[in-house]
Amino acid sequence: MVAHDKKRLGILLVTPALIFTVVCFLLPVLALLVDAFRVGGPDSVDGAALHWGVDRFIAFFAEPLHRQVFLRTLRIAALVTLVSALLSYPAAQAIVRVSPRYRGMVLGMMILPLMVSPIARTYAWIVLFGRNGAINSVLLHLGLADEPQRLLFSEMAVFVGLLQLLLPLMLMSLVSSMENLSRDITLAASTLGANAWQVFTRVTLPLTQEGLIVGGTLVFTGCVTAYVTPALLGGPKVLMLETLLYQKVSVESDFGTANVIAVILVLMTLAVNAGLKRISSSRSSA
Amino acid sequence: MKEGLFSRAMLWLVFLFLLGPFVIVFLAGFSAGETLVFPPSSYSVRWIIEVLGSEEFQRAFRTSLEIGLLATVIALLLGVPVAYAMSRMPPPGMGAIKQILTSPLIIPAMLVGLGLLRHVVLLVDAPVFLGLLVGHIGLLTPYAVRVVYASLINLRVDIEEAAITLGASRAQTFFLIVLPNIRSAVIAAFFLAFVTSFNQVPVSLFLTGPGISTLPIEMLGHMENSFDPSIAALSTLLVLFTMAFVLATEKLLGISKYM
Amino acid sequence: MSYLELRQLALGYGKSNAAVEKLDLSVEQGELISLLGPSGCGKTTTMRAIAGLIDLRAGSITLDGRDIGRLPPNKRNIGMVFQSYALFPHLNVFDNVAFGLRLRKVDDKTLRAKVEKVIAAVGLSGFESRLPAQMSGGQQQRVALARAIVIEPKLLLLDEPLSNLDAKLRVQMRAELRRIQRELGITMLYVTHDQEEALALSDRIVVMNAGKIEQLDVPENLFNQPRTRFVANFMGFENIFDYRDGALQGRGDKLTFDAAVPAGTACMGWRPERVTVGIGVHSGTVLSRGFLGDAVEYLLQTPIGEVKGFADAKFASWREGDNVSFDLPAESALFLPA
Repeated sequence: MVAHDKKRLGILLVTPALIFTVVCFLLPVLALLVDAFRVGGPDSVDGAALHWGVDRFIAFFAEPLHRQVFLRTLRIAALVTLVSALLSYPAAQAIVRVSPRYRGMVLGMMILPLMVSPIARTYAWIVLFGRNGAINSVLLHLGLADEPQRLLFSEMAVFVGLLQLLLPLMLMSLVSSMENLSRDITLAASTLGANAWQVFTRVTLPLTQEGLIVGGTLVFTGCVTAYVTPALLGGPKVLMLETLLYQKVSVESDFGTANVIAVILVLMTLAVNAGLKRISSSRSSA
Repeated sequence: MKEGLFSRAMLWLVFLFLLGPFVIVFLAGFSAGETLVFPPSSYSVRWIIEVLGSEEFQRAFRTSLEIGLLATVIALLLGVPVAYAMSRMPPPGMGAIKQILTSPLIIPAMLVGLGLLRHVVLLVDAPVFLGLLVGHIGLLTPYAVRVVYASLINLRVDIEEAAITLGASRAQTFFLIVLPNIRSAVIAAFFLAFVTSFNQVPVSLFLTGPGISTLPIEMLGHMENSFDPSIAALSTLLVLFTMAFVLATEKLLGISKYM
Repeated sequence: MSYLELRQLALGYGKSNAAVEKLDLSVEQGELISLLGPSGCGKTTTMRAIAGLIDLRAGSITLDGRDIGRLPPNKRNIGMVFQSYALFPHLNVFDNVAFGLRLRKVDDKTLRAKVEKVIAAVGLSGFESRLPAQMSGGQQQRVALARAIVIEPKLLLLDEPLSNLDAKLRVQMRAELRRIQRELGITMLYVTHDQEEALALSDRIVVMNAGKIEQLDVPENLFNQPRTRFVANFMGFENIFDYRDGALQGRGDKLTFDAAVPAGTACMGWRPERVTVGIGVHSGTVLSRGFLGDAVEYLLQTPIGEVKGFADAKFASWREGDNVSFDLPAESALFLPA
C-alpha cells in the first residue's frame, strides 16, 4: 500500500512541470527543428513536392557568409574557452588559498557579475572601445594614433566581451574542483622533486580535469548561444550564429534559414554536452 | 612563494577584468555630455534623472517586474513538487524525466522564444504577454528544482516518518514539517529565478511586441537608435539594484552554496 | 487472540528480496517484547511493517482486535521512537511533543496539561522552549519518547533508541524506559542488536535470524537454555562443537567427552567463563591472552579448534605458545539437538 501510493504520488507531483515543459518548451522548439528538414512544397522555387531532406542545410553552407559566421562562432568560442582556462587556473589557485574568512566574500564577488544583466556588463566595452571611448582617448592623447580607431564591431571586441561574460563560470568550476584537491598532494609532489610547472602538469591538471571539462562546456556553450554581447560588440558586420538567426527572422523574415541555424545550434550544444558526459563517465569508471 | 605571487597577481588581474567594467559604466552614467565620451569631461546626474523619468523605461520596468514575479511564483509551484518527488519518491523513468526537465538549460533560449512565437502565439493568437510569461516560466523551473532539491536531499527523511506515525497525512507532513525546513532554499530559489528572469534577453527577444517590452529589450532598442549615456545610467541603476538584491540574500541565506 | 498478533508475515524490498518469511508472533497487552538479532535479520523491517512504513507481501497484523495491515501509518495509532530521534528541528520541545495532539484537534487546555505532564514524566520540565539543536543526545531521546507517548498509542515501537548514546547513559536510560513502561502500562516492541540490553529490559525476547524467529522466550531461559546453535552463539556461548559417538568433533580430530549426555544431542556449548584454563583433562596451546582484572581470558588452539576460557589472574602465568591444560565441565555444558 505504502510503496504503491508513493509511486503514484511521485508521478502526480512531477506531472504538471513535465506537461508544461513538454508542451510549452520542447514541442515548439521541436517544431522549429523539424521544419528545417522539410523541403519543397507549394511555395518552393522548383515546385517539388513536400519531402524530407537536408537540402536547406546544403544551401545554407553553400553561402560564403554563412560559412564565415559558422566558423567564426566556433573560432571565438574555442578561443574564449582556452583563454578563460589559462586565466582561471592561477586565479582559482589563489582563491583556494585565501583564508576561509574572506573566501565567502571573494566567491560572492565572482558570482555577482553573473547576476547582473549581460547588457550592463557588455556596455562597459562599448564605453571603452567606442569612437569616443577610453581607449581611443588614451591613444589620441599619447599620440599613438591620428584618429579614433575602429575597435568596436570587431572580432576582438566580441572576444573580449564574451571572455568577461563567461570567465566566472570557468572560475567557479575550477575553484570547486580545486577545493577537493588537498594541499598535501601538491606538497608531496614537490618533495619528490617536481618543480612548479611539473607539479601543475602532472598533478594539478589531471586531478582538476573534471572542473576544467565542466567549465569548458559551460563557456563554450555560452559563447555559441550568446546574443547580447555579439549583437552589441559585433554588430551587423561581425555576426555570430545567434545574431545571424535574429537577423534572418526580424530583418529578412527568412524563417527557413532561421530553422536551419536553430538545428545547428541545438546540435552543437547537444554535442558538447554529450561529449562532456562521455568524458566524465569514462573517467569515473577508469 | 614565487608561485603564490603569480597566482595572486592573476587573481587581481581577473578581478579587475571582471569588475572594472562596472566602475566604468558607473562613471559613464554620471557624465554630463550629450554623447558617450569616456572619460566624461564633466559629471552630472541628468541622465539618471532622465532615465528614471522616462515613460518607456518605466513601463518596461513594470513589465519586467510583473513577468519576473509571476514567472518565479509559478516556476516554484511547478518546481518544488518535482524536487520533493525526486528526493523522496522518484517515479519510474526518473532519469528521462530529469533530462526533460533540465532541457531548458541546454536548449539555446532564443530558439524557445522563436518556437513559442511561431507555434503558439501566432497559431492560437495568444496575447504576447502570455507567450513571454510561458517562456520565462519554462526557463526558471529548472533553477527552482535544482536549488530546492539540493536542500531536500540534506533533510532527513525520518522526521517525515515520525510525523506520519504521529498521525499526519502526507500533505500535512509537507506543509508542517518539510516546508519550514527548506524555507531558505525556497527563498534562495525565488531570488535566483527572479534575477534570471529580470535580466533575460534571448527568450524575450521574439516575444515582445507593441506595448509589451521587458526592460532589457527596451534598453537594447534604445541603444540601436541613440548613443547617449542614458543606457549607462540605467545600467548603473540596474547593477545597484541587482547588487543590493544579491548581497542581501547572500548575507541572510548564503546563496553561493546552492549554486 | 492476543493484543498484537502477527500471522504468517512476509516482507521484502524490491522484486525478489525476502527480508522476512512466514513470521508468527503474539504479544500481550502491557508487555515489553524485544526483537533481538544481528544486522539484516529482519527485526527493523518487521517493526517498520507494523508501523505501516513498509508494505506487507503476505500475512496479517492485528492490533487490539483490528486488522491494521491495510491502514496507512497515520491511522494506526502506533507511536514510534526512531534511532536518530527524528525531532522536528524547527519546533521547540513543547511543540514537538504537542504535534500529535494538535493533529487530533485536542483543545488547548487539555493539550497543555497532557504535554506538560509527559514532559515531567521524562524529567524534562523547564526545557519546553528549547530547540533540538540545543539539547544533548539523552535529552533529545527523552523528547522523542514523550512525543510518542503523549498520544496514548496502543503500541509503542522503539527502533534501537539507545544505540546513539554513550555506555553509561545507555544504562541509565534503559532503567528510565522500563520504569515509564511499567508505570503507564504501554505495550512496547523494542528492536536492538545488544543482547545485554534485551535481557535487562524485556518480558520476553524474540531472537531473529535471516527473517525467521529462532527462539521466543523469557530472558532467563534464553540465557541459560538457548535452543539453537545461533541463539547460543548470540547469547555468549562462544565454544560450540559438534558431538558424536562420545566425543566432541572438530577440524578432523576429536576430544573425548565421558560424561552422560542427553539422547539426541548433536552439539554442545560452553560459555568462556565456565571453561577453566590451567586444570583439566584436555590440553591446548595459548594463541593469545588478555588481562581482564580478576581473570585472564585465554584463546587456545586445540585439536578440535579454538577454545576460549578463563583463568584466575593469580595463577595465569601462561604466555603465547605455552602448552596448558583446560577443562570443559559437564555441569556447565549446553546440549543442543542440532
